[in-house]
Amino acid sequence: MAKGVKLILVLGLISLFSGVVLAKTYEITSPTMREVAMKNQQKAIFEVLPQIKEYKEFQNEAGMLIYEGLDSDKKVTGLAFIAEGGGFQGTIRMMVGLNLKTKKITGYKVLEHLETPGLGARITEDSFKKQFSAKSWDDPFAVGKDIVPITGATISSKAVSEILKGSVAKVLEVYGGEQQ
Amino acid sequence: MKAWKEFIKGIWDENPVFRMLMGMCPTLAVTNAAINGLAMGLATAFVLFCANIIVAMVKRFIPNEVRIPSYIIIIATFVTIADLFLAAYFPEIHKVLGLFIPLIVVNCLILGRAEGFASKNNVAYSALDALGMGIGFTFALTLLGIVREFMGMGSIFNVSVAGQNFTEWVIFVLPPGAFLTLGIMLWIINSFSKKKMEESHCH
Repeated sequence: MAKGVKLILVLGLISLFSGVVLAKTYEITSPTMREVAMKNQQKAIFEVLPQIKEYKEFQNEAGMLIYEGLDSDKKVTGLAFIAEGGGFQGTIRMMVGLNLKTKKITGYKVLEHLETPGLGARITEDSFKKQFSAKSWDDPFAVGKDIVPITGATISSKAVSEILKGSVAKVLEVYGGEQQ
Repeated sequence: MKAWKEFIKGIWDENPVFRMLMGMCPTLAVTNAAINGLAMGLATAFVLFCANIIVAMVKRFIPNEVRIPSYIIIIATFVTIADLFLAAYFPEIHKVLGLFIPLIVVNCLILGRAEGFASKNNVAYSALDALGMGIGFTFALTLLGIVREFMGMGSIFNVSVAGQNFTEWVIFVLPPGAFLTLGIMLWIINSFSKKKMEESHCH
């Protein structure tokens, strides 16, 4: 009996100590982590819409958040939005840019993913990404047809294509109605 | 003299990967590029170092029956600390390793050193042992990463070194390539040194 109590006590103490240390570490690091996430998001908007000078947020009734990219004359020339979808191992989140004038995708930037390093993770590399930039949003986005997949990562390549295809259509539906 | 021996043994004579075949999961999983192997090796070395010291310090207070869960909690705490700090201050490296950082918890090398060495030796020797083992592990992972990245993509540390006519053996960056590379390396190393692998045992 006394032995059992001692075991519980020791494990409890170690767990308690570990919990305190981790809570403290999280408290120290979380503001920096939030900052990094914010900065990444801001950087991503300008990265996928290289022609814009500033951006403002736009929200429709459905609560969908779209960033309107403004050029130097304060005219909306592009849209940026966050698209999500299932990848090979987890959710892929990315910032997508659209050019309203040319009706083309200007590019995407992956914000979060859990794809295999060295294989699926190469969806973040330029050699794969540049296939989507300068693509008209009416194109089929089919892996094997107009998209060359990453070697050894067909599922990740397909996921990116499908997320882009699906989300662009949805955003245009929401935003296009608003414009006219 | 003993201190030096505890340190140096992990680098070659008892190298965790080439001699003891410990921590095979990260060894095989993340070494498809040199930078991934190096970063994983360093993160593991950090956790190993901290866990070995703490285990050597508190071993007297931990009853035998609960020592494994206690070690796991200690190791998991340091892994989470490393994960949080990397995410906050080195987001680039964290992005590369992502999924594999939490898996350091179940690396048998760390639990093996805690159970096999730190629980029987004092703090100073445990720290030296962890340093040597950490360097040996990092060295092995980086070496595997260099070979696989060169064979599979024609580059080392993302710098292209193979000529235009080089045919990339994509299999080397895929999972089977990990087994092939490790197997061939072990064969080469064992045929050079006559020493038998008697002392190799994975806890």
